[in-house]
Amino acid sequence: MELGAVVVVPARENLMSIHEAQPLALAASENSRPFYFSRMPILGNDVLQSWMERIRKLGLRSLWLTSSSRAESVDGTLDSSALAECARQGVERLLVIQLKAYAEMDLADLLRFHCESRNLVTEAEDARGHLGVCLRDHLALRTAGERYAFASAPTESGQTPYQFRGYAKRILSATERQELVGDGLTGACAMRPLGAEIREQVWVGEGANLADSVRVIGPSYIGARTIVQAGATIGPFASVEHDCVIGCGTTVERSTVLPYSYLAHGLLIRHQLVDGGYLEDLSWGAVADLRPAGLGSRIQRHEARRQGLRDTDVPSRTSRAGSPEVALASAPARARSSTPSSTPSATPSSTPSSTPSSTGSQPWLRVQLR
Amino acid sequence: MTIPWIILPFPCGSDFADRRGLRKDLLIALRVSGSPVIVDFSSCGTLGHADIDLLLECVAQAAGRDTKVLFVAGSRVNRVLLEVTRISSLVPVFNSVREALAYPQIAAENDDEVLRTSQFQKPGSA
Repeated sequence: MELGAVVVVPARENLMSIHEAQPLALAASENSRPFYFSRMPILGNDVLQSWMERIRKLGLRSLWLTSSSRAESVDGTLDSSALAECARQGVERLLVIQLKAYAEMDLADLLRFHCESRNLVTEAEDARGHLGVCLRDHLALRTAGERYAFASAPTESGQTPYQFRGYAKRILSATERQELVGDGLTGACAMRPLGAEIREQVWVGEGANLADSVRVIGPSYIGARTIVQAGATIGPFASVEHDCVIGCGTTVERSTVLPYSYLAHGLLIRHQLVDGGYLEDLSWGAVADLRPAGLGSRIQRHEARRQGLRDTDVPSRTSRAGSPEVALASAPARARSSTPSSTPSATPSSTPSSTPSSTGSQPWLRVQLR
Repeated sequence: MTIPWIILPFPCGSDFADRRGLRKDLLIALRVSGSPVIVDFSSCGTLGHADIDLLLECVAQAAGRDTKVLFVAGSRVNRVLLEVTRISSLVPVFNSVREALAYPQIAAENDDEVLRTSQFQKPGSA
């Protein structure tokens, strides 16, 4: 049976609408939705890469990468007509992964379970609910396409869900994300920090610059090219991702600082998540705007942004040990038409168009796994 | 005998003259009256650079005096900003004026240190 795989990345539009259109609304809000997105690195690792590696181990040589462009699709899955298009292209079984969780899942075991239980749709879940990973058979794909609506949830339709008992964290939850950071730093999960371990449980990425008076308390991670200024304290259980600047005397403890974030001098970041000029308190769930007070901001990237790929950014061609080397093989016509000069490494599509006509806002990219 | 409180609304997002006015009121309150002062910025949506500066000045003015200064954050966002700037480690911060007014009664019943830790406990951190 022909198996295909799709990874759905939550759309960047959600992020942009919060960051740029309604910054004041965000500042005043409490318990608002996450303001970071699933492609943000965790200890230097890309969760998408980890899923790609698992898909590659399943024997697949390529996958589709798409972005859920509508808010309701983030928690749903793919547009039904997109599934129908997969069915028309000969895919008889489709693995759909929504990039909202990090799970150390053996996809072969999921596939085995799916076959043995004879489900049309098998959704993976753990004790806390769905993990955003499911397998759909031909009939379920076709049915979804004909009805232009999804078949009901597997549990409702009598399908047996796949009970995952391994390690999983939902990366769109700031709290679980921080738990994943802690587990990665202490070796409680398979994710390892990307960098050199300069001493026990202290990892530093390439090109990071730490002043002599900086105090790093393990377990901690400092990402590549990050600058930590004099008198700052990092850790314990802190993760400062790549290309950040931590001001003099600032303490980052049990917190995560996402890439390209600047933090001013003398701050106390404790049990919080910082993304550019925004800060989420993990205990209270309050999201504060640091910019009006000059306490933090987003550092502008000097390199030109690769437009068009946006949140569906295909990982760069860097080949880390143990991670699959990926290259953009083809971009469907619809994706190219909406993003004309965006995919320099993309070659014209030689595969049948994988962009369903009714899902023009949802570009699909085919990624080769090597 | 009940000690009178002085409640000063914080001139959030206002102009220089307003800020100078608060500063003056605060100085008078600290130097002359000797009454506890509550600086209430619950009407502020978020705190800006000048607001933080003024709050730090309030803290500096109160330092070394017998007069008590309390802050009323009014929202979680403001409270987070006070934590991040470490102001909350210098001055007791409350969610509402009512909470702040209850401060002496609690203090009378409990040791001051116990009060401080209980006031600053985050939900779920017990």
